[in-house]
Amino acid sequence: LYCSLPNPRNVHFESINMKNVLHWSAPEGTGDGVLYKVKYSVYGVGKWIRKPECRNINRTWCDLSSETSDYEEQYYGSVKAFLNGMCSNWMETTRFNPLTDTKIDPPMVSVSSTEKSISIVLTAPEKWKTSPEEESISLLQVYPGLRYNVSVLNKKTKKRWWFSISNNTLVVPWLEPGTAYCVSAQIYVTTPLLHSGFSKEYCIATLKDRTADETATIVFG
Amino acid sequence: LMSVTEIRSGFAAIKANIQARDPVRTLSILSHPHSLHKVKSSDRCCVTHHLFNFYVEKVFKHCKTEDSFVNRKISSIANSFLSLKRKLEQCHEQNKCMCGQESTKKFQQILANYEGLNVTSAAFKSLGELDILLDWMEKSH
Repeated sequence: LYCSLPNPRNVHFESINMKNVLHWSAPEGTGDGVLYKVKYSVYGVGKWIRKPECRNINRTWCDLSSETSDYEEQYYGSVKAFLNGMCSNWMETTRFNPLTDTKIDPPMVSVSSTEKSISIVLTAPEKWKTSPEEESISLLQVYPGLRYNVSVLNKKTKKRWWFSISNNTLVVPWLEPGTAYCVSAQIYVTTPLLHSGFSKEYCIATLKDRTADETATIVFG
Repeated sequence: LMSVTEIRSGFAAIKANIQARDPVRTLSILSHPHSLHKVKSSDRCCVTHHLFNFYVEKVFKHCKTEDSFVNRKISSIANSFLSLKRKLEQCHEQNKCMCGQESTKKFQQILANYEGLNVTSAAFKSLGELDILLDWMEKSH
């Protein structure tokens, strides 16, 4: 079968927390009506495997997360285009390694405060899973070297502190009472080299200094 | 361990270039038919020792490219391997890195995969699988 349709372009995996989705661009110069087929293979194993849910689709992505969920393996994805009885060649990705080629979301951040300290609890994202019932795997289990960078900003003085921690809790002591502090955190893995973006800022105020209030009450009654 | 991180970043810089030189998707040196990940932890040290010798003696020297940047990265990776190899040799000499039948069989399989291709193809395929080796070495146990 000689395939004269231009090829799909830029066939690649986009992966976040090991949700692995094959993406591509439509062949050059083709308008609407192009359909696609998708297959994938495990590196080192002979055969290509078709993805039935992505047969004759007109979108330009296909979720291969469950087919590529074993991150001890590496994979190739491939796409073929069809239009008006014509077809393109199969176009392959480069070798995809879920462990090193995924992007990681920032951690979840929760903060609480006392008069002179704030407590921060960080939660690493979970690895993508096929269904909510499936057992959750934290990326902490996947990447033993996972650490957190934490930034704490005093909103009044604009002074910022940085912390690099491996466990997921941090208490920042000796703070000013009645002051707003904003916390943001990032995940980074030393090997393989991976890092998330920073989370959005979570702001909280330390409690007011009650001794100051009580003293005022005593003096002024 | 500094050297492993150096190897990782060196490999990341040339991974696409090296893997593009290996068109054979259906064969692997390290991961099939028997995955490194099936090696028992008691055999890990010996298999690692064998693999470091394998890369130094059978892989790096056959991976010359026309790209000087890639060649520099390959030689810096090779140097990091040499320093790790020396550290492992100390374990081997102090009998802390015993080689049983299982690990020898595992390594024979890897050699058979390597010898199933011509030297240059086998060397570039092995180099392109460095992340498989590093992922296995760093996996938590």
